[in-house]
Amino acid sequence: MVVRKEATPPNPTPSRKRSWLRPLALLVVLLGWEALAALGLLNPLYASSPSQIGRALVELFATGQIWPHLEATFGAALWGLGLGVLIGGSLGLLAALVPWVGEILEPFMLLLNAIPRIILAPLLVIWFGIGLASKVALSLLLVAVLIFFAVYTGIREVDPRLVERIRTLGGGRRVLLREVYLPSVTSWVLSQLKVAVGFAFTGAVVGEFVASSRGLGYLLNFAQQNFNASLSLALISLIVAFVLLLFAAFGALERRLLAWRSNR
Amino acid sequence: MLHIEHLSLGYGPTPVLHDLSLSLRPGEFASLVGPSGSGKSSLLRAITGLLQPQTGRLELGWKPEEVGFLFQDDALLPWRTARQNVALGLKIRGVEAKEAERQAEGWLERLGLSGLGARYPHQLSGGQRKRVALAQVLALHPRLLLMDEPFASLDAILRAQITEDLLEWVEREGISVLLVTHDLEEALALSDRVYILSGGPKARILREFAVPFERPRDPLVVRADPRFGPLLRELWQTLEVAVWS
Repeated sequence: MVVRKEATPPNPTPSRKRSWLRPLALLVVLLGWEALAALGLLNPLYASSPSQIGRALVELFATGQIWPHLEATFGAALWGLGLGVLIGGSLGLLAALVPWVGEILEPFMLLLNAIPRIILAPLLVIWFGIGLASKVALSLLLVAVLIFFAVYTGIREVDPRLVERIRTLGGGRRVLLREVYLPSVTSWVLSQLKVAVGFAFTGAVVGEFVASSRGLGYLLNFAQQNFNASLSLALISLIVAFVLLLFAAFGALERRLLAWRSNR
Repeated sequence: MLHIEHLSLGYGPTPVLHDLSLSLRPGEFASLVGPSGSGKSSLLRAITGLLQPQTGRLELGWKPEEVGFLFQDDALLPWRTARQNVALGLKIRGVEAKEAERQAEGWLERLGLSGLGARYPHQLSGGQRKRVALAQVLALHPRLLLMDEPFASLDAILRAQITEDLLEWVEREGISVLLVTHDLEEALALSDRVYILSGGPKARILREFAVPFERPRDPLVVRADPRFGPLLRELWQTLEVAVWS
């Protein structure tokens, strides 16, 4: 066969971003906030100040009292996230590939999705006690429903041309699952993972808020009862920092696993 | 060989194609030409088993693994590189992964895609993606090649180049081809036989043309043959009836 040369599109290069703009904006807000607090224009009972929040954070780590609480919240959130992805993903896969399972599961999942699942927290405490299990259960519930729909929709919206392609190449169900459904679903799930991280922490912290003897939610409850805005904001910034770290980790995973996408 | 008798097929109670009979001998190149909705693509889908005929007989003298299907869209897996896409069919047929990728690289080279094996489909031009899809099918050494307007989206020059390459390969290997096309000139320049279909639903074969040009054939030379113009006119007049009937 004759070899012909044809113009090849260049590999896409990442666009340059003004990466300094966001940190600068954050710094301006923090400095402004600090100045307002120093001038006595903010009531420390409600808003505290960045320096006081920083001091509260340093104290939490210096005394070491934060570690058991961090361990409890992270344990609950990560277990909830892991189990939620596993259970939600498996059910989504089953519902999409076995029509009668889909017919049974879809209305239940739609109902679970429609209600604010946080309201189940007190019930879960009654069922599983005030320990880790009730927090894991709440995180799991929040994450599983989200991932179920990501997988279920992902499989149902697979490009039918790709399915036919595999069939005409001689591939059966196993090849279809490995080569078409799973890669297609991965992009849907990865796009939902960042939301799932937020849900997992919401489940863990709200569960601790309702009833617990440790965890960041428990500490937040304690800070609220003592009108300690510095501690409240220190704990909130701690949760935000860890969630952002997980976001970055999932972002890196997404870039690696979805390198085939044209817009990346 | 492929032998179809009184075949009806479609997606509802009224068949798209009705009472269709045709045959394709080993090494023969046939084209199906007809208005949109006349069931040309459905016929190819029925031959590959993607669509069940409603009535009639469809006899395929080749094993299913000897049938290659080149789609209108390149339908490459976007998450697999060009090499992995070509190797996929080989792996499905039981070729060991490393050997499949080695063969795939060879096919990419043969089709002018050296050094592009590690690229994802979105990093290739339209013509290159078509060549990858072609490599994917040819790597399986089909004895029957079904083509559903595979190069319709390409510009004229690229289309002529790929078609010429493909024709050379098909003639050398003695592969049978059934091509679905809207392009009468292409059908006449490439085929040994052209079937003109009427409009659907209940489309049928209006006329069968035997094309007199010898093989091996150069599509450009064939177009300059004095017999080409009158034949094309005759085909066009028949197709006009198909469109307006």
